[in-house]
Amino acid sequence: MTKKQSKLIRLTISYLIILTMTAIVLYPLLWVLGSSFNPGNSLNSSQMFPDNPTLKHYQFLFDLERSNYLLWYWNSMKISLMTMIFSVILVSFTAYSFSRYRFVGRKNGLMTFLILQMIPNFAALIAIFVLATRLQLIDTHLGLILFYVGGQIPMSTWLMKGYLDTIPKDLDESARMDGAGHFRIFIQIIMPLAKPIISVVALFAFIAPLGDFIIARILLRSNEQYTLAVGLYDLVAKQFGNSFTTFAAGAVLVSVPIALLFLVFQKYFVSGLTAGGTKG
Amino acid sequence: MTTLTLKNVTKRYDNKVQAVTDFNLEVEDREFIVFVGPSGCGKSTTLRMIAGLEDISEGDFLIDNKRMNDVASKDRDIAMVFQNYALYPHMSVYDNMAYGLKIRKVPKDEIKRRVDDAAKILGLEKYLDRKPKALSGGQRQRVALGRAIVRDASVFLMDEPLSNLDSKLRVQMRSEIIKLHNRLNTTTIYVTHDQTEAMTMASRIVIMKDGVIQQVGTPKDVYDNPDNMFVGGFIGSPSMNFLNGTVVNGQFKIGNVLVTLTDDQQARLKAYEGKEVVLGIRPEHVTDDNGAYDVTHAHRVPAFIEVAELTGAEQILYANLEGQDFIGRVDAQNAIERGQTVDLVFHMERAHFFDKETELRIGAVDTI
Repeated sequence: MTKKQSKLIRLTISYLIILTMTAIVLYPLLWVLGSSFNPGNSLNSSQMFPDNPTLKHYQFLFDLERSNYLLWYWNSMKISLMTMIFSVILVSFTAYSFSRYRFVGRKNGLMTFLILQMIPNFAALIAIFVLATRLQLIDTHLGLILFYVGGQIPMSTWLMKGYLDTIPKDLDESARMDGAGHFRIFIQIIMPLAKPIISVVALFAFIAPLGDFIIARILLRSNEQYTLAVGLYDLVAKQFGNSFTTFAAGAVLVSVPIALLFLVFQKYFVSGLTAGGTKG
Repeated sequence: MTTLTLKNVTKRYDNKVQAVTDFNLEVEDREFIVFVGPSGCGKSTTLRMIAGLEDISEGDFLIDNKRMNDVASKDRDIAMVFQNYALYPHMSVYDNMAYGLKIRKVPKDEIKRRVDDAAKILGLEKYLDRKPKALSGGQRQRVALGRAIVRDASVFLMDEPLSNLDSKLRVQMRSEIIKLHNRLNTTTIYVTHDQTEAMTMASRIVIMKDGVIQQVGTPKDVYDNPDNMFVGGFIGSPSMNFLNGTVVNGQFKIGNVLVTLTDDQQARLKAYEGKEVVLGIRPEHVTDDNGAYDVTHAHRVPAFIEVAELTGAEQILYANLEGQDFIGRVDAQNAIERGQTVDLVFHMERAHFFDKETELRIGAVDTI
């Protein structure tokens, strides 16, 4: 076999794999997108490419008289953004101290985080429910935000600590010689260099509440307080009048903010921001 | 005016490793002190204690007679240049240099003036807007120096600043740092493992090994009168030859070869009659006949040449005498080839003798 032939085979196989993957990923997406434009309500009559597409499901969702969808959207955005902001702040602080300081309990703390992140959030469902009842956080967004933020800390701290460990300590020391204190080093030197990992942590913290159903379902009671996941589920879980096509339309719109966030953070996902600071 | 004093400074880590032991040094104003030693000898640790980046376990560190042990780095008025530059990657060259001044709330126009001045001295004017990653190694090193210069600090610390540069650039930066020191006259402590850097730059050298000072002195002093075998072997390239032998009747006996001693040496070695001592002699004091400028005390030894390296101007001979290796340097004109046995001349008036047990130089002030 010549070199050219083997290259051809290699390329063909690579492209085949990529195509298969793309199909696996895109098929359900297209299906949801397609069914959101279907005129009927049922799942059976839906087609990926509807014969007579309609926007009526979207109109329904945006009609405040008939649907709480926009309210749920607002709730979800509020919760996701708050979770993102608080997670980034808390995780940055914890990760920085674990990465830069040596203190009693550091090792055990890290180990606890490691074990904690192995347990999924909903495993603590009963505990969360009891806690929320005692603290009167049932049916409040604050309660949800607190639990989501708490859930983000262990894994994200590990992620971020790993990244901060790669930022040379010489930079801290150099800043110390320049006269900077701990907080200034954190804000002016380390944080700007940690942008790539901050965006990853932020994105995770934003997506997690959007994708969560169980905890939100348990904690939220009134329809006006629902998040998207809970609200949309309500659309299809009714005994009569399931509206899968409306559900599909609602689901499509959920992806918009995530896609936007990806676009915003994309430039930070490239590594090598620390290149050039030190030799190596 | 800035003087530094280190009194009985000791560094011990939690795991009981003793990195620096009983370090005593007075650094005069405007001095250029070089700490030199093999890696792990505690020179960087000492520097970092001076900088305030490491705590001092025992002893006192004073700047201008004020105790500094518990003063934070930022309040010590010290600027430091790191081995791997430690430039802030997200800031431009200008901001890198200005950072320390901004923190100290120096007025903007003053910052600009100082940074521009430093950039001019270091030839960085064109690069002020660039990020560090768009600079070459040498330029980055200049920025690191610039950052120290603009601070106008009373002490400069440099931790192996040239070790990441290629050899040509290293020689060039070496002379630039010396020029810079002559111009700014800031008290400087410079750490290196390269004895050539130490010899060429220092006003005084501090040679360290295993956390202990071996000798402190001017380059010439340290080179000509090493206190012990370690200093003799560490300073100078190729390093000093050490030959084992016995003192017999005022002569030095290497195997079956007898070498005549000077009167001075005979007097010093009186106490060692019949004992084994070590002869230390530098390669440039082992020549062939033609290079024997002073034959009074010169002594010829028959040496078997194992390797002869021609460096251009001279020839480095790796020779063997009675089973002991040594190195000689001869003029390249006198082509000597390997495999020959030739008479080499030991210029005994430049030789030293060391105690075999203590490895101290016999006749050094504190050994008499």
